[in-house]
Amino acid sequence: MHVVKASDQSTPSLLSGDNRVRLENWLAAQAGASRVVVTEDGRLGGGAISLNLAVTLDIDGGPLAGRHACVLRAEGGGRISASIGKLREFVVLRAAFAGGVSAPEPLFACDDPAVLGHDFYIMRRAEGLGAGHAVTRSEAAQPELARELGRQLGLLHRITPETEGLERLGDAPECPAQETLAQYRRWFGDLGRRDPVIAWGLRWMEVNAPLPGAVVLCHRDFRTGNYLVKDGALTAILDWEFAGFSDPMEDLGWFCARSWRFRRPDREAGGIADRADFYAGYEETSGRRVDPLRVAYWETAAYLRWAAIAVEQGLRHSSGAEPSLELALTGRMLPEIEMDMLRHLRSIGGMATGAVEKVA
Amino acid sequence: MRANPDARGLLQIAASTFRADVLPHVAPEARFAALMVANALEIAERELKGLDTAGHSMLAALALLYGEDADDGLSGDDLRKRVEALQHRLCIEIAAGDFDQEGQDVLMDSLEAIVQARLGISNPKALGQQ
Repeated sequence: MHVVKASDQSTPSLLSGDNRVRLENWLAAQAGASRVVVTEDGRLGGGAISLNLAVTLDIDGGPLAGRHACVLRAEGGGRISASIGKLREFVVLRAAFAGGVSAPEPLFACDDPAVLGHDFYIMRRAEGLGAGHAVTRSEAAQPELARELGRQLGLLHRITPETEGLERLGDAPECPAQETLAQYRRWFGDLGRRDPVIAWGLRWMEVNAPLPGAVVLCHRDFRTGNYLVKDGALTAILDWEFAGFSDPMEDLGWFCARSWRFRRPDREAGGIADRADFYAGYEETSGRRVDPLRVAYWETAAYLRWAAIAVEQGLRHSSGAEPSLELALTGRMLPEIEMDMLRHLRSIGGMATGAVEKVA
Repeated sequence: MRANPDARGLLQIAASTFRADVLPHVAPEARFAALMVANALEIAERELKGLDTAGHSMLAALALLYGEDADDGLSGDDLRKRVEALQHRLCIEIAAGDFDQEGQDVLMDSLEAIVQARLGISNPKALGQQ
């Protein structure tokens, strides 16, 4: 989402030819405008799964009259198992924005294939730096940034399955840990019988599964690399395509996982600060205490989830569905993710996670 | 009949030439792709060179649990099949709960050694991190 790349000339643009005219007409109708002109400003990064196009909308007439810097986010060729689809993503973004979360304001969503061929939505474009290596480059820790990210996550987690407009997301899980485990078993399939590290992770999750508690709207990819920072301050939380209802501690475990610390594995909150800073911000706004044992459980789950996604990305390449060096190399990240999981399990001390009430 | 230089030799010199002579001159918009190319060449090179070594390390790691099945004399496909068979057996035992109560320390040592052997090919830099 952060790097404007030169458009790839060999790929026909999503907005070439009649597509642009159809989009402009559709937008004019949606915005109650007399005319909308769409200018393409280039492809944005962060598009391993979705296609992100920077666009400027010049709107004549209607409540949104004026010029708007936006992002058009369309379903890419390769939606993966964890993705929720663009329209559901739009609904999530709308709920998060309405709940005061620093998410880009969602403006329009379209599920009519006659317009661009793919589902897509348009949101305002946020400014800032997103790349994990850049965000974690700072010599000094960034406790205020971590605290603010905690506050934002706390605001998001005030959104419950009863919130109006979220029906499209489906039913909330009765037991997030058990449903997650069942999902991982499906995702890994045969690999769980060939790779003993994956087998051990799955077994560990089964034996240590915590009893269900609160279930809230989770981002499910809330991590360094998926938010934008400008002059040291948070400007936007991005990449909502995996959102869903779950145990709130799942998002905290994901954020703190080693995989997203980039240059600074010693800074356990996303490579930017200590967990205490992040947790403190979370407790300010969420209305609940952080449960470190549950966070540790969900951090194990985070490694397995990331491992499953990496394996699936590699297969998108290997199957011939979508030849891509980036996807191929993601597939080869599996041992690194597994090593991080083993380090995590060592650090929390084996099977017995202590006082948390368990399902098993 | 083997050509000289062989695939391994070609990859090695291609990877080092790419890194030393091409990468510094790549335009910024192609740098990410170029770094990926360098990375892929180096993984392939390490795999061609070190697959059997990694296989023996994995076998030694599994021998911590199944001493009687380790065999230093294996190579190539035979080695791969032996490692796969032992890993499958371990997966079944793990899933059956054999390590829920005891044996976790040996299991963790074994799993770490297995992953280290694979990391030595895919990303040796990650071996040193904490």
